[in-house]
Amino acid sequence: MKIAFTSSGTSWTSLIDPRFGRTEFIVLYDEEKQLISAIDNSHVKNVAHGAGSATAQIVFELNPSVLITGNGPGETASTALKHHHMRIFVDAHDMTLKQAYEQYKNGKLKEV
Amino acid sequence: MNEIVILSGKGGTGKTSITASLAVLAGNDAVIADCDVDAANMHLLLNPDFGTTIEFFSGELAVINQKQCTRCRKCEDACRFNAIGYADKKMQVIPIDCEGCGYCEIVCPTRAITMSERKSGNVFISNTKAGSKMVHARLDIGAENSGKLVARVKNEARSLAVAGNKAFVIIDGAPGIGCPVVSSLAGANYVLLVTEPTMSGLHDLKRICAVIRKFRIKAGCIINKWDLNEKKTTEIKQFLQNEQIEQLTDIPYDIRFTNAMTKGKTIVEVPSPYRQILHRIWNEIKSQLPK
Repeated sequence: MKIAFTSSGTSWTSLIDPRFGRTEFIVLYDEEKQLISAIDNSHVKNVAHGAGSATAQIVFELNPSVLITGNGPGETASTALKHHHMRIFVDAHDMTLKQAYEQYKNGKLKEV
Repeated sequence: MNEIVILSGKGGTGKTSITASLAVLAGNDAVIADCDVDAANMHLLLNPDFGTTIEFFSGELAVINQKQCTRCRKCEDACRFNAIGYADKKMQVIPIDCEGCGYCEIVCPTRAITMSERKSGNVFISNTKAGSKMVHARLDIGAENSGKLVARVKNEARSLAVAGNKAFVIIDGAPGIGCPVVSSLAGANYVLLVTEPTMSGLHDLKRICAVIRKFRIKAGCIINKWDLNEKKTTEIKQFLQNEQIEQLTDIPYDIRFTNAMTKGKTIVEVPSPYRQILHRIWNEIKSQLPK
């Protein structure tokens, strides 16, 4: 299963980025292959408007089964992501990716 | 470090007056961010020194290389904003009309047009009279606030708070519910709503509450100028109760707010009962933040 995180950095020790649309990075973890990869989202971060839907598009293409983020996604991004059979877990801000992943595994993250 | 965002939905409810008052009460414990950049005015009350200026770029502007231009005027036909015209024997871009869409760049047969990054204003880092740091911005003429600019102001404020080991970032949010407001909410720990008892005050309060609910952020509300329409105030209280948003206090219409403002002061710096009331509100908000 592939899991996507909104992240302020590119490693397991990076903090979850509370933002969805303007997140610094999207980190993808492939559980089968045990591989972690990061996508630089600075291009979207720097658009004046429409960051939510642009990031939703990127996540859509990455095709993860699970998304772990902070406050967001907001209204527009949520609507877009609903068309994808993806489970969305929120309120993971102030956690590292590793902590958020463990919390998710233990069923302690809030799902929307 | 905790982020507190002050929002109103409707403009003119007293949001900035309240924000600046909290900024004075918080003193050096907080970093202040003015994210209401379209009508930035908190600097009038906090007397910042505009210590550091950072240029801000957003969007694009068409630039014509006159040496390559054949004056075929295809760009002029293509531009739906009428931002390119022929004058002084050359094709010229009218910067204020250019939306940066890039259509002219595509139609230009000699590739004389390129899109360049556009300076849209300045971001400032200041010291305020309250002893705190403040991040604020000023837009150039015709430029608009954006989620990008709000994110920039907030990130600067957040970095300053972390570097200075400050407990709070106090953010004056933009009116409305659009992109800049959503951007100001990301990462926030508490939303203070300031509303007024008018039709549009309640209407816009409902809209902003729907956005806050989406982001699952704890919120409290101040009804400002409550005595101007007691019936509407009752309606607002009912709405807040249904939404389970704490009604922190109601403040009557009082000319002392305006009198203080005209002297460049917040209400907590002049004699009135509001210093004590807002002090209580500030402590109440602090007690509700995550430790």
